Parts: sequence; C-alpha cells; structure tokens
Amino acid sequence: MSALAVSTMTVRDRWRGVTIAAVSLALMLPLAMAAYQSIDISLYDNFPEAMRTLMGLPEGADIATLAYSVVFSSYGALTIGGVAIAVGTSLVAGEEGKGTIGVLLANPIGRQRLLTAKAAALVALVVGASTLLWAVGRATPVLLDVNIAGLHIGAFTVHFAASAAFYGMLALAISAWTGSRGAASGGATAVMVIGFFATGLLPLISGAADLAKIFPWYYLGASQPLLHGLDIVHVTILLAGSVVLYAVASFGFARRDLRDRSVGTTLVDRLREQPMTKRIADRIAGSARVSRIWIKTASEHQALLVIVVTAMFWMMGVMMGPIYAGIRRLPIDVANVLPESMLTFFGGGDLGTPEGYYQVETFGMMMPIAVVLVAVAVGAKALAGEEENRTMAVLLANPVRRTRVVLEKMLTMVVYAVIVGVVTFAGVSVGSLISGLGMSITNIAATCLLATLVSLVFGALALLLSAATGQTRIAVSVPTGAAVGFHVLNSLGELNGAWWGRLSPFHYYLGSDPLMTGMDWGNGLLLAAITAILLALAVPAFARRDLRQR
Amino acid sequence: MSATSTAGSALRTEGLTKHYGDFPALVDLDLDVRRGEVFGFLGPNGAGKTTTIRTVMDEIRPTKGTATVLGLDSHRDSVEIRRHIGYLPSDLALYPNLTGRDTLTYFANLRGGVEWAHVGALAERLDADLSKKVGDLSSGNRQKVGIIQAMMSRPELIIMDEPSTGLDPLVQRELQTMMREEANQGHTVFLSSHTLSEVQRVADRVGIIRSGRLIALETVSGLRTKATRRVELDLDAVADPAVFLAVPGTGDVTVDGHRVALTYAGRMDTLLAAVAVRYQLLDLSTQEADLEEIFLRFYRDEATDPTASSATGTAATA
Repeated sequence: MSALAVSTMTVRDRWRGVTIAAVSLALMLPLAMAAYQSIDISLYDNFPEAMRTLMGLPEGADIATLAYSVVFSSYGALTIGGVAIAVGTSLVAGEEGKGTIGVLLANPIGRQRLLTAKAAALVALVVGASTLLWAVGRATPVLLDVNIAGLHIGAFTVHFAASAAFYGMLALAISAWTGSRGAASGGATAVMVIGFFATGLLPLISGAADLAKIFPWYYLGASQPLLHGLDIVHVTILLAGSVVLYAVASFGFARRDLRDRSVGTTLVDRLREQPMTKRIADRIAGSARVSRIWIKTASEHQALLVIVVTAMFWMMGVMMGPIYAGIRRLPIDVANVLPESMLTFFGGGDLGTPEGYYQVETFGMMMPIAVVLVAVAVGAKALAGEEENRTMAVLLANPVRRTRVVLEKMLTMVVYAVIVGVVTFAGVSVGSLISGLGMSITNIAATCLLATLVSLVFGALALLLSAATGQTRIAVSVPTGAAVGFHVLNSLGELNGAWWGRLSPFHYYLGSDPLMTGMDWGNGLLLAAITAILLALAVPAFARRDLRQR
Repeated sequence: MSATSTAGSALRTEGLTKHYGDFPALVDLDLDVRRGEVFGFLGPNGAGKTTTIRTVMDEIRPTKGTATVLGLDSHRDSVEIRRHIGYLPSDLALYPNLTGRDTLTYFANLRGGVEWAHVGALAERLDADLSKKVGDLSSGNRQKVGIIQAMMSRPELIIMDEPSTGLDPLVQRELQTMMREEANQGHTVFLSSHTLSEVQRVADRVGIIRSGRLIALETVSGLRTKATRRVELDLDAVADPAVFLAVPGTGDVTVDGHRVALTYAGRMDTLLAAVAVRYQLLDLSTQEADLEEIFLRFYRDEATDPTASSATGTAATA
C-alpha cells in the first residue's frame, strides 16, 4: 500500500465535511456584505472595545473590511480551525477508535509513512478549503460591486490557512501520543478557543498585551493581514509550529502501543468500581437504566441533551437578560440596528422591547434549532440506529411487539424535546427576572410550549422515516432539510405577507406572537395533531416491514 | 413419536420462500424440527440459513409459504412465540456501553421470569465475565453473553445462528454439552452452522441447505452409514476379493494374504454378514466415517445427490 493511497483515501473520506464548512462560510460573506451595505455601520464603532477586538474589527472599518473580518477572522477561523481539529483527531485516534488501525497497519507501510500520508491529507484539505474561501473572497466584491481596494485577501488567506493547519497538527499530535479522540479534539479546541478569547481581551488590560503572544490565535490576526498584508514572521511562526507538532506527532506515534477498540469510561463507570458508591451507581447505571426500553434509549443520548440544554439555559436563556439590559443603556437606537428584513429572518421582533430581543436571539432561531436537533437525532437514531447497529435482532428476540418498541422510542423523543423546552423556559425566566425585564412568565411558557410542539413535528417526521426505512441518513437529513426549508418559507411569507407562509409549521409557532399575547391553543393543537398523525403512521410503517440486516 | 403431526413439531416450515427483489434467497423450504431434538442446519455461506431463521423470527416476512413455531404462526403469533424461545442471531451485536450483566438485566426485564441463579450457572459454565462493558469484550466473550441471553429463560426452543463464532474449543465443547442437556430435558435446539464437526457431535438430525433449497435431510447416524470409510479385516484364511466386491458399497479392495483392506459405504452388519459366510473374522479395524467428504460434495455440487452415489460404492475415496 503506497502512502499516496492513504492520503487519497483520507481526503476522500473527509472532503465532504470540509467543503460543507467552507461553502457555508463562503455563502455568509455575500450575505454579510449585503447586510452591511444597508445599515449604518458606524454603529460598530460604538461597540465596547472588548467586543470589537474579539470580532477582529478595526476602528472605522468600511463595509468590506467588516464583512471579511466578521466572516473570516472570527467565525471562519473558528470553523475551519474546528474542522481541521476534527480531521487531525480522526487521522490516528479515529482509526484506533473504530478499530481499523490494525488492518491498515497490516499493510506494508511503516507508522512513520502512514503518519506522513495522513498529515499530507490534512494539509491538502486545509489548503483546499482556504483556496475556496479565497476564490469566494475575490469574487463576492465584484458581484456585489463593493470596492475592496487596499484589502489583502490573499495574505489574509495565507494567515488563515497557516492557523488552521496549526490546530489540525495540534490535534494530530495529541491523538498520535494518546490515541484518544476526546483528548485530541478537546485539547486542541481548548487551545484554540482560549486563544481566541485571550488575544481579544488581554490587550485591554494594561501591561498584559504581550501575554497574548503565547497564544497561536495571536498570529492569525494581530498583524491585521487584511489591511497590512502578509506578516512573514507571524506566518512563519504558525508554520514552524505546525512542523514541530508534526515531528512531535511522529515521535509519539512511533513509540506507543496502539489502542484496541474500546468504549469510553464514564464517571458512572468509575463510581461503579468504588466500593463506597458501588451500590447506588449500580442502581442508576445498571438496573434503573435498563428497566425499560425508553429509559435505556434515553440514557444513550444524554451527551447531546446535556450540551443542548446547558447552552439553551445559560447562553440563550439566562445571559440574554443582562446582555439586553446592557445594550439598552448604550447610546444607540437599538431598534434600528438591523434591517427589518434581516430581523424577520431571525424570527422577527422589536429590538426595543425585551420580548423582541429574546425573540430575535433565542426564540426565532436558536430554540427551534435546539429542539429540532434533539428531537430529530433521537427520533432517527433511536429506531433506525438500533437497526443499523444490528441490535434490533436481539432486542426483538424478546417477547415485545414492534409497536411497543416504536412507542417507547417515541416516548424518549417526546421526553427529550420537553426537557429542552422546560429548561429553556427556566433559563429565559431567570434571565428576565435577574435583569428586571418584566416579561410575562406565562407567555414565556406558552412560547416554549409552542417551540417544543413545532419541533416535535420534525422529530415525528424523523421517527416515521426511521421506522419506514431503517436508515438514519434519511431520517436525519429529510426532517432537517424540511425544518430549514419551512423556516425560510415562513420568513419569506412574513416578509411578503403572503398566504403561503401558513403552509409552514413555523407559522403556528411565532405567528400569533405568543411572547406578547400568550398561548394560542388553536395553533398548539394543530401542531400536536400533525405530530400525532406522523407518529401514528410510524407504528404500521415499522410493523409491516422487513428489518434490515445491516 | 408422532413426528409428523404439528403438535410434535418445534419448528415447521411449509413451502417457505423469500425473494430479495429478483434474487431467490429461499425456495420452497419444507422443514420439520421435532420437539426434543437437536437439529443441525448446515450449509455454505450465503445458502439461506440466516434468511430462514430471520423469517421464522418474524424479522422478515416470507414471499410465500408459512412457518410455525411450537404450533404458532411465525408472523401472527410472533410475540407469543418469542415468550417460549431463545434466539442467538448470527453476527451478534449488543450494546457496547452496557456491561454483560446490564445487558442480561435489560432482556430479563423485557422477558420476565428469568431466574438469576440460572444466569449465574450459565455464566460460570461458559466462563463469561459479566462485569465488563460489552464493547470492551473480545468477540468470543461477547458471544458468551449472547448465548446466556438465548438460554437464560429456559426456553422450549433455542435457535442459534452460528453460535461457535469466536469461541475457543473448550467453550465450544461446553456449549455442545449444554445443547445436548437441553435436548435431554425435552427442549429443542435449532443449530445453524457451516462446520460439520460441530453439528456431527450434537445433532440428532441434519438438514442441508444450498442456494436457498433444502438438498438433504438425514439423521446423523444415517449419514454415517452412507459415508465411505476404510475397513481392514483379518481373516482365518487367504481372502478372495470377489467375495468383498460382491457386497454393495465396497470398493478399492486390496488383498494381502489373510488381510483385506477396502472402502465401504453402508451398514456394517451387511458387510459382516457377507464375510461370516466364508471366513472367521479374527480382527477388524475401521476409520470413523468421513462425513466431511460427503458434505464437501454437497456444498460443491447440487446436481448430483452424493448420498446416493456414495451408497453405491462407485465413488472413490480420495
């Protein structure tokens, strides 16, 4: 097996994810430029300095600079850095986790060559993504007729690519040393994110500015390559760092015992080993967890739930209160910050009121995304996932009806969606209370209930498709696509005041303005009825069909 | 034993047919597994063994024909059936994050009526570690959890699809003993396998399937009588080859004074009776019947019936 084959195979496995990330960023650039064209951008000069440095915004920036900075140096660099970390992690630790490293190294290829081939694939992917972004960065201003004279897109892209390569290599180095996916992606992401905040905030503290130089993030944008061109020293530092990390990776990979495929050890597992905590941990992780199909299913998707629920409670719930209270004190007309058309896309709302602000930030998009994400993931994986993992055969060897299996999996999905809804309700209520925004708690509850109901429509669709096809791919992609499509349809309908906006389930979520007017039971019942119909169809769909073997 | 009546059948298929698109995975399969026997279901990879079992388990539905288990319809009464049977799927997959004990607790909760003392006894006999996470077990140790799962409710019928996969020879032996014990208690074991030696050791009867069709159905002892074996006889006088060639099923006769060596396929008493007419038999040695040869021929070529051809003695032993 030649090293080239390994590189090619790795690129082939990974190019899709990288391309999707790059294309979505590329699409954001024209969107951002168009948006900034229509608003008074001097607003940004009123932003607190910390926020401006975090977003990489130079003072007095023009439209193009703003758009590039926002899209590329914060979102873009974080996204592509994250993708590079994911790839870097998968190269070695991923193969070990899946148990494929053994058969790969059974071929006459040394570990050193294997690692080189994998690293080459990583570099190729980063260069590919950066080139794509560069091309879009050149083309967009021409299409939108924006003047970009004096902006060094090419130099900026080089910084960008070198930075992404660095984080990818960091993940590769950790994964080569440890073989642990968690350590590699967690460690590299922590370095990146801490660097992002540190380089943004440290310069604000007098005397601490130089401290920022210890973070790799500093060398991405501190020299403002977009305005001043390539900073050879900074780029060299990033590239040299990547080479050093690659050397560290090869040294570590060459001397380590390879891991066998294994499952992670969780906190509960450790507790079960301790004599002190064994009894109680055994009850929770053992007998209680496996007492029913739906409870066991629920235990399998906790990680996703915990992440989503934490984000919704703190970031989208509690924190939005003080942030809004802070913004209200700024000497700007909050209501006119964003164009009406853009607000509508984020769920509409009057930024002059706390309700409107929460609608834009939390309820318009984030909450449906959160609940749809959880409901679709559980709806799809609970049933089709068990079939794809081939455990359905042994589950159905027991005297349980297929109908019961579907119903219990359904119950898990509904319980999960309700948990996200309730926690968001709690977060927003706390946010409003601690900041004295005086929002109606009943109305918040009504909005969260409607958000949960509208998301369950898509969760139910996922469950139906998972019951009918047994393929998680279909059961995840179709409802997700439908949710995005219907959200856009609803927004466009609102913009144009057209009747067809009502075809979207989302119309029955915020259409009645529940945050101001309270619960619309008619809308709630309609959404619940659609969900019930989809779920009812799932039962015969699963009962009638041949189970897939794999 | 009223083996032909449905009441006496543990598992019965009639004209069972399954097509995947145009591909006939199973064609007019008629099987009748009696209560209290170990039935070996043999065939090469891809012959339709697993398709048969998955149809019986109601995982997939027949294109034509029916299957009844313990007198119940495999589709209509599938839940009731599963109350009384244990099942070990081929290429077993379990939940990697659960320990063996959690896994068995889960299935015991779904099933009800499982005695934990029995689970412990099974685990001990198979030397299974139930405290480790299934994902951390080797495939053989994972298989043990699957076997316990199939046997823990003391089912009337146990269906096992390639149960020996990954097991070491000692555990394979133990499993075979356990299967025999089940049969001795009046339970039925349906054992699907592609290795003859396993089936030969435990099964009472054997069905052989190839390309979705049942091509032979025999008792193991019946097969053995049809198998060709080498026989050596020490006689009280110089042997005459013609005497031996006259017995149906003999071949390859070589005479060395008082000693005769030959190949023989058939019942041993027929041969001995023919010898006793002319000679006194001083000593006799015989190899174990070479069933493997029969099976290899079954697997390779479906056009001819190898039991028939070997019984005539014309087939040479290689």
